[in-house]
Parts: sequence; structure tokens; C-alpha cells
Amino acid sequence: MFGKGLVKGMQITWKEFWAPKATIQYPEHQNPIPDRFHGRFVLDLNNCIACGMCANACPNKVISLRKQKVGTKQFLTNYVMNIQYCMFCGLCVESCPKDALHFSKVINMNQYFYNNIPLVLVQREAPAEPVEKEKPAAKPTSQPKADKSAPTAKSEVAASKASDKEGE
Amino acid sequence: MFENLFVGIADGLRSLLGGLPLEINEAIVMLVKLVAILVFILVNALWLVYMERKVAGYMQARIGPNRVGPKGLLQTSADIGKLICKEIIIHKDTDKVVFMLAPVLVFVPTLMVFAVIPFGKNMAAIDMNIGLLYLLAIASLSTVIFWMAGWASNNKYSLLGSMRSVAQMVSYELPMVLAILGVIMITGSLKMSDIIAAQEHTWFIFTQPIAFLIFFIASVSECNRAPFDLIEAESELVNGFNTEYSGMAFAMFYLAEYANMLVCCAMVTILFLGGWLAPFGLDFIPSWLWFFIKMYVVMFVIMQLRWTYPRIRVDQLMGFGWKVLVPLSLANIFVTGIGMYIYRAIGW
Repeated sequence: MFGKGLVKGMQITWKEFWAPKATIQYPEHQNPIPDRFHGRFVLDLNNCIACGMCANACPNKVISLRKQKVGTKQFLTNYVMNIQYCMFCGLCVESCPKDALHFSKVINMNQYFYNNIPLVLVQREAPAEPVEKEKPAAKPTSQPKADKSAPTAKSEVAASKASDKEGE
Repeated sequence: MFENLFVGIADGLRSLLGGLPLEINEAIVMLVKLVAILVFILVNALWLVYMERKVAGYMQARIGPNRVGPKGLLQTSADIGKLICKEIIIHKDTDKVVFMLAPVLVFVPTLMVFAVIPFGKNMAAIDMNIGLLYLLAIASLSTVIFWMAGWASNNKYSLLGSMRSVAQMVSYELPMVLAILGVIMITGSLKMSDIIAAQEHTWFIFTQPIAFLIFFIASVSECNRAPFDLIEAESELVNGFNTEYSGMAFAMFYLAEYANMLVCCAMVTILFLGGWLAPFGLDFIPSWLWFFIKMYVVMFVIMQLRWTYPRIRVDQLMGFGWKVLVPLSLANIFVTGIGMYIYRAIGW
């Protein structure tokens, strides 16, 4: 019959009108992020041995790290990723021998000011002189190190957040 | 109580101004009525832009505007606020007077038409005995304004758009008027209130279904809505006659489009859906609310049409208008005439 298609079209739009909506209201709700998502980097300082394999693996020379010898061990003092050049390929994560570098699910890394873009994962002073001859003495050094690392990492995040706010 | 709300307000105003001479009294009441109509049109146009966006969104599995104000209700106001703040760019080759006159005048025909539309029982600002003729005559004036806008822009897209507008309006005005003739033949009057009174038992949509279809299609075309929106045709003509307009001048055209839709829906309601008459004896709902509900149902259908059908080509548009709608409306007049003759012979 003439006009059957017209009626059919109207029926389809009428049904669509009442159908559930696909939109997700972003800041309030978010699509679930898959487990293997390549988001903001996280460095586990307890595992990191400051070998520099990640920096070598990076095709874009994003990672720059600075280390200092404390006693017999390498101590990581500075770990900065120029994230604006990063393509999140994940070669650094793959290359890490101690499984210290990870991706997280954090997606909002945007910054208002250019200077805030580099992702500073570690920035700390090396301890003055470690006591590494005795076993019991070694523990306190590693303990403060771990202690130190956690707050520094946190303060870094806090700092970057603060700068976010500043940017806004 | 609500039945006579607006009539009561008018009477109250009249008695409040009782001390004044009759002419001045009436003039003031008429002025208040016209201002009320203007406010009605503007508020409706604002609401319709929002409604259009919501309907569009809902039909595309989206939500539509929902950030500005509660449920996004202030979105259009915000848009208009932004457009007011913007500069109206007038480039050097325009015919400046005509260019600026067009957006100013674009609301005039719409406003003039609304003066004769009965929004409820005894609620027409002016109940003229040639109401329908007046309405048709004034409503088609907007063609001239679109032509002014397109011509003065001195831009090929605007010119093409407005030329299409004139061609379309001329060819669709004809079936529209011929379709109404069937209604007028049955009613025997051009007065709006008479036409509504004639539909007390059966709406004309049931006695004149072909006329309704023709009129509906032609009026969708008259207000340049999809699938007949060749005048604007974003993808071909970069919005047609209003390409060169910016700021508030553009907003005026935008709002006038919705005001024209309002006129078309009001006309469909009056001519075929029984105007403010309550169906099924549901007269506890006031007459003006019935008019409003019917108008918005038609409006929704027009919006649904836009988001369902693709735009037709110019040759299809002209072919459909002249080869289908005009003969069909002539046939409708013929059949109506025969039917009336037979009914009269039977003695109904």
C-alpha cells in the first residue's frame, strides 16, 4: 500500500522515543574502564631498583630518571615522564624487570598549564649515608626509605592535584 | 473557575477601566490582549526550541539539553542571551536597510495572525467574520520577508534559499487553500468561531480526512519544516536565507520559525481538530487547555516528522505539490460538493 513506509518510519521513531537512552552523564557517571586500560602511570617504589630499563625501552624518550648511589644500591631520586609525548604503548611497563611500573585506571591527566603536564612520579633526596654492614641496621634504612617513598608519592599526587585546581 | 480565567481577566480589566470613555477602554483592553499574545508567542517559541531538541535527542537515544537550569529548561534562554551579546555582522555588499528590516519584520505576520486565533471559548482577540481569509492572506506574507532576507544578503546560498522559499510557498499555498475550501463549504462561514461551532458533534478530521492530510502536509511545507526544509537545507545551502545573519537577527529568524509552526498547529487544531471543543464531553478541563493540548499534539507530530523522514529533492517537492496535492484537493472539493448535495436531497 502507498504510504506504508511512511507509517513504518513513524512507528520506529515513536518506539525510539520511549526506548532507554544510551547517554552516560560523564562527570556523575562513567563508563566502566577495562582492567588492561592504559591510564596514568604508577610506580611502585618498593620494587623499583632504578635500573633504567623503562627509560631505554621508551620509543619517544618520555622517561627521564635520575639516581644516586647510596652504599651499594642505586637510589632513585627523580622519575619524570614527559607525558605529552607518551603514546601509552606500554613498552616501559613490559620492560620492567621487577614489575614496579604499572598503568592505573586514572584517565583525567589534562592540565591547564603546559608546565604541569610532566608526570612527576618521584622527586626526593637521597639519604645521607646508609648503614649497610649490619643486617639490623639495614632495616631501618630501608624502612624510612619505604616510608619516605609513600608520602613523597602521595605528596606528588597532591601537588599535581593542587596544580590542577590552580589551573581551573 | 478556570474555564473563564482569561475572559474573566479581560472583563475585570474592562470594569477596572470603567471610568474611561468606551473607545479608550476598549483600546487599552485590546492592547493588553495583543501584548499577552506576544508574550504567549515568545514563551512558546522558547519552549519549542527546547522541546525540539529534547524530542530530537529522545528519538536518537540521547537525552538532549539537561545542564542549563532544571532539566535544561533554561537552555534556549541561555542561547538567546548569548546571541543578544553577539555582534550582528553586516558585510559590505548587503542592502543594509532591507537586510536589517527582514529580521525585524519577521515576527509581524505571525503576530498579526494570532490576533484572530481563538485560544478558547470567546478567547479570540478579534473574532473577524473573514478570519480565515485574513489568516491565509497574512500568513503567506512571511514569504516576502524570507525573500527580503535572501535578496539583501547578496549571497548565492541565501538567494537560492529564498528563491526556493518563494517557489515552495507559492506552490503549497494553493493546495492548502483548496483543502480548506472543503471545510468552508460545510461550515458556510469564514469566521473562526463558526468553524469551531460546526465541529461540535464530529471533528472535520473525520468528515474531511483528505483535506486534513493535504492541509497538514501543505502547512508543514509552509513553515519550512523537514521533510520540506529545502529552504534551510543545512547541508546544501548552509541554512539558506539566514546564512549571513548573526547575533539577534539570526535568533529572530530562528524563533519566528517556531512561531510559524505554532500558527500552523493552531490552524490544524481549529480547522480539523475541533479547536477548543472538549472531546468525549471532558469539559471539566478548560477550553483553552484543550486548545493547547491539541496544538501540542500536532506540534509533536510535526517534530516527529522532522526526525523521521529525509529531505526531499526540489523536483520531488514541486512534483508532489502540483501533481498530487492540487488535483487531490480539487477532487476533495468536488466530492464534498456532491456529498453536501446528496445530504441536502436526503434532508439531513
